[in-house]
Amino acid sequence: MTEVRIAGLRKSFGGQPALVDVALEAAPGEMITLLGPSGCGKTTTLRCVAGFLAPDGGDILVDGRSILDVPLRRRDFGVVFQNYALFPHMTVTQNVAYGLRVRRIGAAEIASRVAASLAEVGLTGLGDRLPRTLSGGQQQRVALARALVIHPRLLLLDEPLANLDAQLRQEMRALIRAVQRRQGITAFYVTHDQAEAMASSDRVAVMERGRVAQFATPREIYQRPVSRYVAAFTGEASALAVTLRAAHAPDRYTVGLGDAQMEVPGAAGLSPGSRHFLMVRPQAVTFGPSGIPATVREVAFFGATQQGEVELAGQALRFVTDPNERVVAGETVHVTLDPAHAWLMPEAAA
Amino acid sequence: MTVPLRLGAGFVLALIYGFILLPLVVVIASSLTAGELMQFPPQGLSLRWFARFFADEALMQALVLSLRVAAVTTVAVTVIGTMAALAHRALSGWARQWLRTGLLLPLLLPELLTSIGLLFFLYRIGLGKTLIGLQIAHAVVTLPFAFVSIAAALDQLDPALEDASNSLGASGWDTFRHIVLPLVRGGIVTGALFAFVTSFDMFTVSFLLKPIGGNTLPLALFDYLSYDYDPTAAAAAAVSVVLAIAGVVVIEKLVGLRNL
Repeated sequence: MTEVRIAGLRKSFGGQPALVDVALEAAPGEMITLLGPSGCGKTTTLRCVAGFLAPDGGDILVDGRSILDVPLRRRDFGVVFQNYALFPHMTVTQNVAYGLRVRRIGAAEIASRVAASLAEVGLTGLGDRLPRTLSGGQQQRVALARALVIHPRLLLLDEPLANLDAQLRQEMRALIRAVQRRQGITAFYVTHDQAEAMASSDRVAVMERGRVAQFATPREIYQRPVSRYVAAFTGEASALAVTLRAAHAPDRYTVGLGDAQMEVPGAAGLSPGSRHFLMVRPQAVTFGPSGIPATVREVAFFGATQQGEVELAGQALRFVTDPNERVVAGETVHVTLDPAHAWLMPEAAA
Repeated sequence: MTVPLRLGAGFVLALIYGFILLPLVVVIASSLTAGELMQFPPQGLSLRWFARFFADEALMQALVLSLRVAAVTTVAVTVIGTMAALAHRALSGWARQWLRTGLLLPLLLPELLTSIGLLFFLYRIGLGKTLIGLQIAHAVVTLPFAFVSIAAALDQLDPALEDASNSLGASGWDTFRHIVLPLVRGGIVTGALFAFVTSFDMFTVSFLLKPIGGNTLPLALFDYLSYDYDPTAAAAAAVSVVLAIAGVVVIEKLVGLRNL
């Protein structure tokens, strides 16, 4: 069981900052996901932890000790690459055995550990095949077995599912999570797919331009985002600029939206009179006989739902309703917002 | 592709093959002549000129010297070329460009210029007209061939494979031996082949730098043809061709040319 603490990590490439100030931590056995678009620094962070890159500043502590001076080969971290990076000239067994072979471990022990590892990822019987004769999903299983067989202190996964189709992705995600839990390995997982991040991690770090925008549980990231950026990256959300009228409890506020007022939950410590963005998930929006008047801009039928956008006090608001509800573009509706799916974000609005 | 286009392509291909292979056919055919003159088509069929070639002491000595120089060159240049290509892969920016340009210089400069430069240099360090001097010269001139071929193979190597190997606990040497070397073997063998062939029929450099009393096969053939115009020279050329083909066949058996 390994504990990790990353503090003040900085890295630039040719004067271009990739990591500005990254701070993260992982408790023993935790699965931490780094989520963000390409160029946000998530892969750079992972490569610094793995040892493929040396950070310009900051520190990475593993079980309280800095690993920056530990050479790559002595870190004992298992890495799973996006393109699998299997050795093309070696069979599945040889690939998995490689990490043990270079550790000069006895042949008998190698054989039993490789067999156990292949069984764990469900590849028993394919040991003699070459990687190129396997499907993408099978190749990624080999890569996982190869990383796990060395009993790594840390498991690092760099977009491991990016090259797989949707069905396989779900299967592999469950497998990775199951193995990681069973062995109690602390893991860092890089992805740009929010569903992947939500479903298979203990905590998610949403990254934005070389910084951690928010680091919290998937539930908190989704329900209580700190900014429009985080809200948009964790699912469909609208952001309405509202004026904070009064604070009731540290995290409950009355806000004004146009002429209307409503009570919503929000980040603690915001002061009355300021303007902030109210995050509203589409499922918070209901139409009824009373409420804030709005104009339907567009509506589309999706089978199980119908989704669209209304204009409310001059701002766009996404909605999702029952497909049988009568919503017609151009007509006026009355909107009610369910506070359970809304959140007043600390991000200030103009 | 339409049929006329395919026929046209086939015709062009045949033309190219003909252009490349015809001289070989002519030389080998005229080496098999029973007549006294090098001519094509041959008059009768005989192996007498091969017998004459293998009995000619000067040509035999030259053949042995050429093979020896080429063999040493190949080994030296393959090792140096591999190390240079690895350095080239590890460097970036200006250093990388300069290393590449420097290593390719013998290929870009006229061979005569390189030879004269080497002549002055080798005399200055006391190796003028010696076998070691000739050996050094051959290595210098053939190094770019090996380097280019090995560097190209290394360029094809996914860097993630080395990352994977290192992260699994392999030392630099382990990674080179178990991952890099097997995957660029084709490029190394090609480079070695180029180095061997280039050294084996190098003329200008050998002409200026040959050791006293020593002759390589191309020089010896040149001398021979200056006085005799009999098919022994054709037989010698045919032997060279057969040696080259034998080399390629052996490599095909060992590593498979399709991997090159």
